[in-house]
Amino acid sequence: MGIIDIAFSSLFFSFFLLGIPILLSLKYGFGIIKPLLFAVFRMCIQLILIGIFLKYLFHWNNSLINVCWIIVMVTVAVFSVLKDSALKIKKVFFPVFISFLITIFSVVVYLNIMVIKLTNIFDAKYLIILSGMLLGSSLRGSIIGISHFYKSIKKDSKRFLYVLSLGADRNEAILPYLKESVQLALKPSIATMATIGIVALPGMMTGVILGGASPLVAIKYQIMIMVSVVACASSTVILSILMTLKICFNKYGILQMEVFTDFGKNNGKKRNT
Amino acid sequence: MIKLKNVKLSFSGKKVIDNISFEVKPGEKIILSGKSGSGKSTVFNMILGFVQPDSGEILFDAEKLDEKHVWEVRKKISYIDQESSLGIGNTLDYLMFISELKTNAQKEFSSNRINELIEYFELENEVLNKNLEELSGGERQRIAIIISILLERKVFLLDEVTSAIDVSLKKKVAEYYLDKDDWTCLIISHDPIWLESSNTKIFEMETCTWA
Repeated sequence: MGIIDIAFSSLFFSFFLLGIPILLSLKYGFGIIKPLLFAVFRMCIQLILIGIFLKYLFHWNNSLINVCWIIVMVTVAVFSVLKDSALKIKKVFFPVFISFLITIFSVVVYLNIMVIKLTNIFDAKYLIILSGMLLGSSLRGSIIGISHFYKSIKKDSKRFLYVLSLGADRNEAILPYLKESVQLALKPSIATMATIGIVALPGMMTGVILGGASPLVAIKYQIMIMVSVVACASSTVILSILMTLKICFNKYGILQMEVFTDFGKNNGKKRNT
Repeated sequence: MIKLKNVKLSFSGKKVIDNISFEVKPGEKIILSGKSGSGKSTVFNMILGFVQPDSGEILFDAEKLDEKHVWEVRKKISYIDQESSLGIGNTLDYLMFISELKTNAQKEFSSNRINELIEYFELENEVLNKNLEELSGGERQRIAIIISILLERKVFLLDEVTSAIDVSLKKKVAEYYLDKDDWTCLIISHDPIWLESSNTKIFEMETCTWA
């Protein structure tokens, strides 16, 4: 059985559910009506556009266009990671972008070849949807990991310098911070794995079941996705950190304050860690 | 051994080091003297390559301190900063972390040696099982001193290392460093124990002269 389509006129009825938060906000003065309506409007426009776009992508199913679309998705994802990371986007964008692109592309191609066993590994339905799922799910962990790494060295600057003074090379000095950052980056994925299926049914599983597949097929896809998310989150964090080291540290092993967005607001011109 | 030649440094337009030159010969014990903010700790930071001078030169073993040489220089120096900025977590684990650094592979971090120094500097053995962040200022300073000795290096940069230590022990600490003929020490301290020692020479930072 295929999925039951929802008519646009019927979809309209789902908006009545917004009445609940709106009425509550009016009664108790939560002040959420304006941002809520704006967010709903934005979501609708974005999803309509992506829906139309994906329809054409699936129709053309051109490997080159599919790969280009992955690049666009990774670009947007990296912007959102860096926007919240306290690092200057223009300084570290390229290495972080390369780290994400290598990771997502390799993991999805691996899944398409080894797990799903596709004949066309660049098939839009799998390449784009899986990349989107992995990017979306590993993003939170990646933001936490990359931010934590640089913020903690900045905060811990005296301790970091002391380890350098002991004769540690740069990699030895950053190792405790790298370990901590990877552990933090994986926490959301590990926490999700612990409760999945009991507390919440994940979006992908719901989608596959609604699409007409059996729950057993759905869980197989979900297991594949969850494992891949952990792989992506750890790989993006480690690769991003390793690839930004040369930019963020000088040749003396000192973290450069210029890479932080707040540099210049309250620092001197060359006082580094 | 360590030579500063016409070193200048400014932060945000403010002169921190203004044309300083001096030399430390092997085995000498030099005290950097000057008011707070006269750039004493900054001199240490420059010798360790944490900050680079705007102009002038720093030489270590007659070789200019640059981005390549600095990594070797750090392996020859034992440094204690004025806050004894050790790591976090269990004290013994931290000592093991230091012993596992590649550069310290040949150093003796045996439990006998550690216990010997713990006893000499009048610490309780339990200190090894405590977290570093739980230690008092004096205990942290003594752990930093013990680390500096365990590293078996010959050059010491000591920044206010006895400021939180009991008077009775200060002399013992100062003598430990000052009595070794082949140890070269650059010291920042306002403590008479160091300043009044016959083994030390005093360099005035503000006037750039020997007292």
